[in-house]
Amino acid sequence: MNKFSPLCHVDDLENDCTKGFLENENGQDAIFIVKKNGELYGWKNACPHVQGAPMAWRKDQYLNTQKTHLTCFAHGALFDPTTGLCIQGPCLGKTLEKVELFVSSEGIVSFLDLNNKNKES
Amino acid sequence: MKVVGLETIIFGVDDIPSCATFLTDYGLIPVDVTDEGGRFEALDGTGVVLAKTEDPSLPASVGNGCMMRKTIMGVADQQSLDDLYAELSKDRAVETLADGSIESHDDSGFAIGFQISKKKQINLVGEISNLPGSPFQRPVNQLGVDVDAEQIRPISLSHIVYFVPDVKKAEAFYVERLGFRCTDRFEDIGPFLQPSGSLEHHTHFLIGAPPFMQGVEHFTFHFSGPTELMQNGERFIKKGYQAFWGPGRHILGSNWFWYFNSPFACHIEMDADMDLHDKNWTPRVSPMGADASQAFLMRNREKWAPGADTPHNGDYE
Ligand code: FES
Ligand SMILES: [Fe+2]
Repeated sequence: MNKFSPLCHVDDLENDCTKGFLENENGQDAIFIVKKNGELYGWKNACPHVQGAPMAWRKDQYLNTQKTHLTCFAHGALFDPTTGLCIQGPCLGKTLEKVELFVSSEGIVSFLDLNNKNKES
Repeated sequence: MKVVGLETIIFGVDDIPSCATFLTDYGLIPVDVTDEGGRFEALDGTGVVLAKTEDPSLPASVGNGCMMRKTIMGVADQQSLDDLYAELSKDRAVETLADGSIESHDDSGFAIGFQISKKKQINLVGEISNLPGSPFQRPVNQLGVDVDAEQIRPISLSHIVYFVPDVKKAEAFYVERLGFRCTDRFEDIGPFLQPSGSLEHHTHFLIGAPPFMQGVEHFTFHFSGPTELMQNGERFIKKGYQAFWGPGRHILGSNWFWYFNSPFACHIEMDADMDLHDKNWTPRVSPMGADASQAFLMRNREKWAPGADTPHNGDYE
């Protein structure tokens, strides 16, 4: 059975901020969330330019300075934070892989963890 | 007309404090740095300069979000500077700046500057590995690794790698106009270029790419050897920075490498132990690919130790 893995509380994230989750031993997040106008959007930390490349320049840092776009700090690709579409950079026109998020009535944010089929929560 | 190497790379950025923290954590030494920018130096005085994106003294960006605004190369003497001025003036604008350096553009549109070399002579010995009987060994009782070492320092600005829309044209400029040599080449990608006043395998590497990608792939400083490179890289990861490729060892140039993402939206590398070549060297042409670009590739992982308390399967899943 698939699992809904809890990540954080909606209030843990501020508007125009990003936060990563499920770090590997290199300190790289598997997924990250951006909050834009009160809405949360989940994305895989995997640039469409170089398959699976980590995007942040430092843990949790996925936004350009103006906070208008998600950025891959490998070669500077810019992505729309709400659609994941690359609007500048080597992967122009490609899209980040979406992570479906669920917010419970208590405000707990979780995502459908397809890789966590058999593990206990 | 002797260019001796890269001495400064200038970036125009919006968030000076974050970029300053990044460069300092990498190991560069801040010199006269304020919230408006400043200089970050390696031990020989070469380095990176940060300025505000809108700073009117900076040449324009090539676009595509490229934050690199200018590279400054060192030349041997005033004669070389004058020769370069004359050479470049033949077909483009060249400006003499207040500090006596000259500024112009290469054929890809990147701003370039030249100054009489300010590189400091540093009398450091690179990493030495002991081997019984070898005449080159560390002094007795000198340790090979120091886990308590203070901040590890980059020694010298090493090279920059450009994405350029027209490799042939870009290469011709550096070779025919500035006197660089091609030391090796990746087929269908581009050349490694060495200035005439240096023996280092490359200070520039050019990668052919579509115009919308024009910019910088990476820049890097030399470290004293693989040990300091990997020790510094491991500490860099612990500070939250994101490794992209490495550690490993390149084949062309033999340099050890470790690449990281940077707030400059290009990679920063740590490199060590690059080959030296002179004009007796015959450039190799190598097909691009995973096997051709590295002798071996490793990945950082959490430390663990086998021992009496280690679970049956050690640290393995
Ligand atoms: S890997 Fe993301 S822009 Fe190149
Ligand atoms: Fe490099």
